Amino acid sequence: MPRMGGSKPRSTSGFRRTETNSGAGLTTVLLVVVSLFMFTLSSQEAGSGFFTGVRSVFGVVTTPVRYVGAVASLPFNGMANVFHNLTADERTLSDLEAENASLKSKNAELEEAQQTASRLEQLLNVQSSYNLTSVAASVIGSSADSWSDTVTIDKGSTAGLAVGMCVVDANGAVGQISECSPTSSTVRLLSDENSSISAMVQSSRAQGMIEGSPDGTVRLSLIRLDQTVNVGDTVVTSGLGGVFPKGLPVGEVTSVSKAAGALYYTIEVKLFANPENLEEVLVITSLSSDQQATAGDIADADAQESGTSTKQGSSTAGSTSSSATTATSKGASDGSAAHGSAKGTSTTASGTSDQG
Amino acid sequence: MQKKDANRSRYGNVALAALCFVLQLALAPNLAFGSGRFNFAVIFAFCISLLVGGRRGVVYSFFAGLVFDLSTTGPVGLVALLLTLTSYVLGLEERNRFSDGAAACLSSFAISSLVVIFVYHLAMLAMGQAGSLFDVVVMRTLPSYALTFVAYLPFNHHFTKDAAGGVSARPRRGSHYSVKGL
Repeated sequence: MPRMGGSKPRSTSGFRRTETNSGAGLTTVLLVVVSLFMFTLSSQEAGSGFFTGVRSVFGVVTTPVRYVGAVASLPFNGMANVFHNLTADERTLSDLEAENASLKSKNAELEEAQQTASRLEQLLNVQSSYNLTSVAASVIGSSADSWSDTVTIDKGSTAGLAVGMCVVDANGAVGQISECSPTSSTVRLLSDENSSISAMVQSSRAQGMIEGSPDGTVRLSLIRLDQTVNVGDTVVTSGLGGVFPKGLPVGEVTSVSKAAGALYYTIEVKLFANPENLEEVLVITSLSSDQQATAGDIADADAQESGTSTKQGSSTAGSTSSSATTATSKGASDGSAAHGSAKGTSTTASGTSDQG
Repeated sequence: MQKKDANRSRYGNVALAALCFVLQLALAPNLAFGSGRFNFAVIFAFCISLLVGGRRGVVYSFFAGLVFDLSTTGPVGLVALLLTLTSYVLGLEERNRFSDGAAACLSSFAISSLVVIFVYHLAMLAMGQAGSLFDVVVMRTLPSYALTFVAYLPFNHHFTKDAAGGVSARPRRGSHYSVKGL
């Protein structure tokens, strides 16, 4: 019988096979022992040791292969995600949609809360900067008619508020309380045509009156032509009348003009406090002595007025103390009834009621 | 002729080792089915045991298991131990058992790989790496076994076809049986 491959005679093949098997068996036993030894040692390693180091080196050496594998499997991972999304059942989609809507709503609430906190923080800064004795309130409504420019706040007489008290926000003066009920109050804004408060140009100390108008334009009146006022100048409260604290920001001069033959400038002012965005305000309940106009301030104001008193002969200039009044015939109250101030109230003592 | 076949077999074994090595490192971590992963070390150990067997198969399988252990977070030596024992049992005959046919090899692989993978995850459970037997069996063993079995199919097809063609037959030491039969 022809043989191929040079195979061994049958009589010796079994012997050789036994030899080989015993060789494999011995090798197996040896490798099993080595495996058990390694297994025992590596199990006892807690994050550091010989096998941990070997594993680290192995990881570094095989990084290129792993990287190639990660890149190559990217399309498959993407397909798996697509498949997973496609097979997402209706309940999962509905749950996800509901959760999304809930999270959106919660997010909106949190953003609102954050903005409220920010505004309140600004109010606190104003309160501390000007050392104001005040009560915080929220704006809960605005005027329902076109004849008045007012807002309603959620605090009233039970909170210690009274007619005539001035109202400010983080940006500056807002207005004055014109009506007061136990739980709410109406604030006449500076842009109301019946509103008028004493103010001055911060840089030149030119005294005047901030007055509203039917169209909402705010003007600084009674600034004589020989006084200095420029576009961009800041207008602040003068403290005269004892209603608004002295130095509170009111607005910025946006235009200065003079008509032929006029004695005063026509000045338009843009209020810092935007009446359309009022949300939280401070109602100043009392003023300290240093927050009110001093005698020197009053004298300066009178001196400015005396420069036109002979020319005008007007009731507003006739009284040396009239410049101390912040409420004119427009009837806006300076809160003299509220603060009991005796400064220049001859024309305005009864001017607490709204003419609007 | 024998020398040529020996070299060819050696190169074939090296190619098989390299292929499984790359697949284990590149594909297995990135393609998963649930918590299951491919195990190309088991595939290599099985193939080499059926192709070569004997001492050489045992040694190859030991190193295959060692590579698997080093590439995973489990204890070093566990899979090496399992594959060493499995290879010894499978390679006792020291012949190309792929010549027995695809079905026989498939069933042999199905049993041996299931045992290896199950014992491996059971050992991990004993070491506290897994949460429960249900987790071990359903979430890890079965998915890994399924993936590994699917990955083995091309290897089975290739080697049984190869063995049927009789091209890569290696002369066996200690056995008078030849691939071509008597």
